[in-house]
Amino acid sequence: MTQRARNWLLLAPAGIWFLVMLIIPLTVVFIFSFGERAPSGGVVLALTVEQYANLPARWAAFKNTMTLAPIGTLSALLIAYPLAYFLAVKADPRWKTILLVLVIVPFWTSILIRSYAWIFLLGGRGIPALLEWVGIEGLRLINTPFAVLVGIIYGYLPLMVFPIFVSLDKLDKRLLEASSDLGAKPWKTFLQVTLPLSIPGIATGCMLVFILLMGEYLIPALLGGGKVFFVGNALVDLFLQSRNWAYGSAVAVTLVVVMLIIVTIYMRLISRLGANREDVSIM
Amino acid sequence: MEIEPYTEVTLTADRKVVAELRGVSKSFGDVLAASDLNLSIGEGEFLSFLGPSGCGKTTALRMLAGFEVPSEGQVLLDGDVVNDLDAHDRPVNMVFQQYALFPHMTVAQNIGYGLRQIRPRIPKLQIAERVSRALEVVRLGGFEDRKIWEMSGGQQQRVALARAIINEPKLLLLDEPMAALDRKLRKEMQIELQDLQRQLGITFVLVTHDQEEALSMSDRICVMRDGRIVQIGSPQELYDRPNSRYVADFVGTSNFFNGKLQGSPEGMSTVLLDNGMQVQGMAGDGLVDHQDVCISVRPEQMKLGHQGDGVEVKVHNRIFLGEHTEYLVSHQTLGDFLVLAPRQADLTEGAFAVGDTAAVSWEATAALILDRN
Ligand SMILES: Nc1ncnc2c1ncn2[C@@H]1O[C@H](COP(=O)(O)OP(=O)(O)OP(=O)(O)O)[C@@H](O)[C@H]1O
Ligand SMILES: [Mg+2]
Repeated sequence: MTQRARNWLLLAPAGIWFLVMLIIPLTVVFIFSFGERAPSGGVVLALTVEQYANLPARWAAFKNTMTLAPIGTLSALLIAYPLAYFLAVKADPRWKTILLVLVIVPFWTSILIRSYAWIFLLGGRGIPALLEWVGIEGLRLINTPFAVLVGIIYGYLPLMVFPIFVSLDKLDKRLLEASSDLGAKPWKTFLQVTLPLSIPGIATGCMLVFILLMGEYLIPALLGGGKVFFVGNALVDLFLQSRNWAYGSAVAVTLVVVMLIIVTIYMRLISRLGANREDVSIM
Repeated sequence: MEIEPYTEVTLTADRKVVAELRGVSKSFGDVLAASDLNLSIGEGEFLSFLGPSGCGKTTALRMLAGFEVPSEGQVLLDGDVVNDLDAHDRPVNMVFQQYALFPHMTVAQNIGYGLRQIRPRIPKLQIAERVSRALEVVRLGGFEDRKIWEMSGGQQQRVALARAIINEPKLLLLDEPMAALDRKLRKEMQIELQDLQRQLGITFVLVTHDQEEALSMSDRICVMRDGRIVQIGSPQELYDRPNSRYVADFVGTSNFFNGKLQGSPEGMSTVLLDNGMQVQGMAGDGLVDHQDVCISVRPEQMKLGHQGDGVEVKVHNRIFLGEHTEYLVSHQTLGDFLVLAPRQADLTEGAFAVGDTAAVSWEATAALILDRN
């Protein structure tokens, strides 16, 4: 076997994986998106941009996704960073592992069940009832964007904590001492040393959470109660309920394109941030 | 050879004291890392902490830097107690063992770090100028925009040095700064460090477990053992007047013979060696009557002759070292020991071959009576 043939053979598993999992489905969806709805549901192949012209009808779904995904990512980051910082820097090494495991414990049960817990907590007999008791009345939490945000932060927090924890944990503690030795107050040391050196973790965590959030549908479905829906919910609706595959495909293609644009811009930004850094690379 | 009785070396009066440890101890849980350290460091001095691994050198240095708070005692800088002053408020800088350079900054950014922390702000241009000058001092002119990982180990160490000295600290602390360098580079850096210290007049405190390094670079050496300071003195003083077998053994090489002090230890005294021989020697400080002691004689203080007085030995091994010849000889009851004969002696009296019988003698003043520990 020639070297060339061997290389191709070694590449084959990855190639096949990409073909089956990525290229073929995407191509199919792309072709469908130019089709029309068959009378009995499904799709009739055609060459029309009618579906794309109809996109504004689903504007709300895009708007919700495009606001709640970034806000959710940022909120998760703001909560995850101090948590990861505590775990990596401040926590007693003997407790580190245990605390870290506690962060993933929620993952052991289905997100469905955990979301139901939030439905109760945010529902009329949960937190609002408690607040009423102390005099704050008429607060509605469930089925609001806030409820969806809470669900998102709760569900995605571990995904954000882990990469940040790793980058903070491997941070050489002597660098912090060196900074202090050179006259930097603790807060300045954080800003000038700790934070910049944890950017790889932040970048990975944000990327992971953001991409997954763009496709999220379970949390908005349960905690948004049909009022706060994402593109993911629109897709479920179009493919499974109204069986308008062509329109659904157009929505899906649009989502993928939007996601690609955002991720590209994001990568550019991050690599510029780490342009003169050997230790910053994205994922 | 005339040797004065040992006295604890104190600073010469004209030197201002910049730092002081007063009865300083530090324990980590039940480990006593430093115990009752007392030390004054003079302005412009080059002082070394010397001792084996785990004897508390780094701990002592870290207490001066402000990274560790003493469990007991006081740390003083310029006459003020600074126990509660954080590292970032102390006019002291440290060169870390693995340099601890910031990987996300260029060489210039690393070196300017200390200046950038000062308020009110120093103008950028001025910082850049001073960074360039510091780089010149460590002979790295023009390396401003290099990345840290593009620098070799020796260069990184110079950057670490420049990053510290640019702040003109009252004390420059160096924790085994040469440990990661190869032998040749280490020698070069030692000379450079000494030059730098003279040129800048900054007080240097160096930690090392390499006696050669300490001997060649320091004004004074502080020998440590199990968290204690056992002796402080100039390299010559430590070499000529060690106050214990430990110091004599750690600083240079010596031959030791155990025995018991006859009578009281005053100046020239008599020791009855374990093999029954009676020898004369100079008594060190702090010995008591009839104490179990040892006699220490440096190999170069021993004279190897063909006949005459002295103890009769057999030559076991001979290593020609150019200027000197090192003989490993063995005596029936005293055991093996080393004799260093100058080339001149070999030439005039004839060299010895392995297996030859010889007589070893030494001046009574060259024999030091020391505590056995
Ligand atoms: N943070 C710490 N926690 C617990 N024990 C410590 C700590 N730092 C030092 N020690 C202990 O204190 C003692 C002295 O340590 P130190 O680091 O000062 O030694 P050293 O003389 O610098 O040794 P080396 O030459 O190996 O660097 C050692 O027994 C060490 O285990
Ligand atoms: Mg050490």
